[in-house]
Amino acid sequence: MSATALSVSGLTKRFKGSAVLDDVYLDVARGEVVAMIGPSGCGKSTFLRCITLIEQPEAGFISVAGKPFGREVVGGTVHRQPRRAVDAMRPKIGMVFQALNLWPHMTALENVVRPQVVVLKRSRDEATARAQKLLADLDLADRGDRLPHALSGGQKQRVAIARALAMDPEIMLFDEPTSALDPELIGGVLALLKDLAAGGMTMIVVTHEIGFAANVADRVVFMHGGRIAEEGPPGRVLKQPGDPRLQAFLSLIRPAAAEAV
Amino acid sequence: MTFDLSILAQYWPLFVKGTWLTIRICLAATIIGYVIGIVLALLSQIPSRAIKAAIEIYLLTLRAIPFIILLFVVYYGLPFSGIRIPAVITGTIALSLYASAYYAEIVRAAIEALPRGQYESARVIGMSALQAMRHVIFPQIVPTLVPPSTNITLTMIKESAVLSSITVAELTYQSLVVQGNTFAPFEAFAAVTLIYWAITAIVAHAASLLERRFGRARSEHLVGSALAASFLSLEAMPKRSRR
Amino acid sequence: MGFQFGYLVSILPSLGEAALINARLAAIIAVLAILGGTLLTILRAMKIAALNAVVAVVISFIRGTPLLIQIFIAFYVLPIFGLDLGPESAGVAAISLNSTIFITEMMRGGLTGIDPGQIEAATSLALPRWLIWRKVVLPQLFRIILPMLVNEVTVIVKGTALLSVITVVEVLRTSQQIAGSSFRPFETLVGAALCFLVLNLPVIAAGKVIERRTAGARR
Repeated sequence: MSATALSVSGLTKRFKGSAVLDDVYLDVARGEVVAMIGPSGCGKSTFLRCITLIEQPEAGFISVAGKPFGREVVGGTVHRQPRRAVDAMRPKIGMVFQALNLWPHMTALENVVRPQVVVLKRSRDEATARAQKLLADLDLADRGDRLPHALSGGQKQRVAIARALAMDPEIMLFDEPTSALDPELIGGVLALLKDLAAGGMTMIVVTHEIGFAANVADRVVFMHGGRIAEEGPPGRVLKQPGDPRLQAFLSLIRPAAAEAV
Repeated sequence: MTFDLSILAQYWPLFVKGTWLTIRICLAATIIGYVIGIVLALLSQIPSRAIKAAIEIYLLTLRAIPFIILLFVVYYGLPFSGIRIPAVITGTIALSLYASAYYAEIVRAAIEALPRGQYESARVIGMSALQAMRHVIFPQIVPTLVPPSTNITLTMIKESAVLSSITVAELTYQSLVVQGNTFAPFEAFAAVTLIYWAITAIVAHAASLLERRFGRARSEHLVGSALAASFLSLEAMPKRSRR
Repeated sequence: MGFQFGYLVSILPSLGEAALINARLAAIIAVLAILGGTLLTILRAMKIAALNAVVAVVISFIRGTPLLIQIFIAFYVLPIFGLDLGPESAGVAAISLNSTIFITEMMRGGLTGIDPGQIEAATSLALPRWLIWRKVVLPQLFRIILPMLVNEVTVIVKGTALLSVITVVEVLRTSQQIAGSSFRPFETLVGAALCFLVLNLPVIAAGKVIERRTAGARR
């Protein structure tokens, strides 16, 4: 078993000539929680879309639990993996989209059951049992038979999380999990992420919640201009930022705190 | 004026023949027209101004010209370019072309309304493109495609009557033959009316079954009070009094 | 042989003249159908059971059978019942009835988009029934169905070509007559097609503008 859940090296993505991701390296250890922060357009979301291969990066290697994903080196040359191999790896990376992207024609339960049946070839009974357990853990035991549009924003999000968890991922990715929620729900979601982290789940959370980054993350990664500009334990990165761009970003995001100082 | 049933007793084989040909022509034109429509809709997704303009001209022209004129243009145009084919084929081609313009618009609208984020979430979780289409995309777009496609298919079945004017021996042509032989237009057209009515009713019913199979909940419109319903609802009874 | 462009140009004036007949008939039919459709809608809303039952059968008949057959019936069958309108009036009657039905069905759909609360408010102001229709319901209804109504006008314009089969001398029949003597049917029919492009493209363009504007207003 590899101690590294996710390893990214040399990841580069260009849009119309300009690099949105510029030679990014990141290793995430098993059980580690990484909070990724940075101004909008810095490449955080593109980073998540590239390591899930929604977008095809121009260069770079990704591996999940020690296994290559997307590109691999065979006999000294770089090969694109066949689609089947890519699809087979995908369940290992659980992604919770900012827009959630639940399937509106399926009930909450079916959203969690169907991918297990289709992708992991679990029996319907096994998949249903797993889904019901997850929904119960996430306080959704009595919501399984509802269609997504009949659920609140917070409930929808928990269904999306359950859907990803049901695939037994090595790592969970969250794209701004709190940005689409009403303010009073944010605390609940952050508590849920904290529980997941306490349960040993490896996570990358793209977020604007500096509080979450400070309290839950093992490491904070600050992205700027498609590169990782600064990273380290939250205590150091958030309290004594070295990079002037990070200092500027933090003062923008915490104007009240900055003024108080 | 009495209704002379003996005319129908004598000529029913012609009506059966005509009905069978109408059904075959419409079936062929639906399939060919839909295929052309899908191809056009896909082509119009290519970011090329020339292709977009060409498709737009094709669609506009076919929508602006009466089907009977298109039919005659194809009918006289094909021999002009040295191609000699039976009128049935000419008619089926013209009907397919005509339908393709309308199907293309429907498919294009459906493609543009595709839930891309949901497709992405299906792929990211490990479904293949085909599985994502089957489990996520089709169940959502088929119910939106069925009602307008049905409408166009019904329109086409009705337009196919025009094929009688290039001597295709379909249903309407046979009714004109019967009318010419018997000088009994009432009987001839009553019979043909009932047959078209039956065909369109069967197609419409089949479509509604298909739509229901995909289980799309129809949003029931509430007309509020009986008073408001006396303006805003043309149903016999206000909907809310129903079960 | 080959496509003789010069010949096509030479017959355009006579085709254009005939196209004016299509335009005139289409205008008459459109007015009759919009009036008829509106009146029928108001009648149907009164929910007179017997009347609505009859209307339901007529709707099903009109929507379920070809316009061509309806034109034949108006031309060949009505005279048997003592109603001999002549080709032009029979044709106008058939297409008008056809469009009336499609318009009242459009209106049925459009009415569901109007807020019922407005009716209750208008009634509480003691507005008489006909005024509620005129001032509250119809203006909104026409705005809702306008894009569909414009499309229906193109259908009417196209429908007038079918009148050639009952001997009305409009564009198609004129082009057939010209082709009969010149033996150049292809050029002639292309000319007839051009006439319909000229008649219908402005209508379609107007429809697109309206659609864009209403879509913008809803946003």
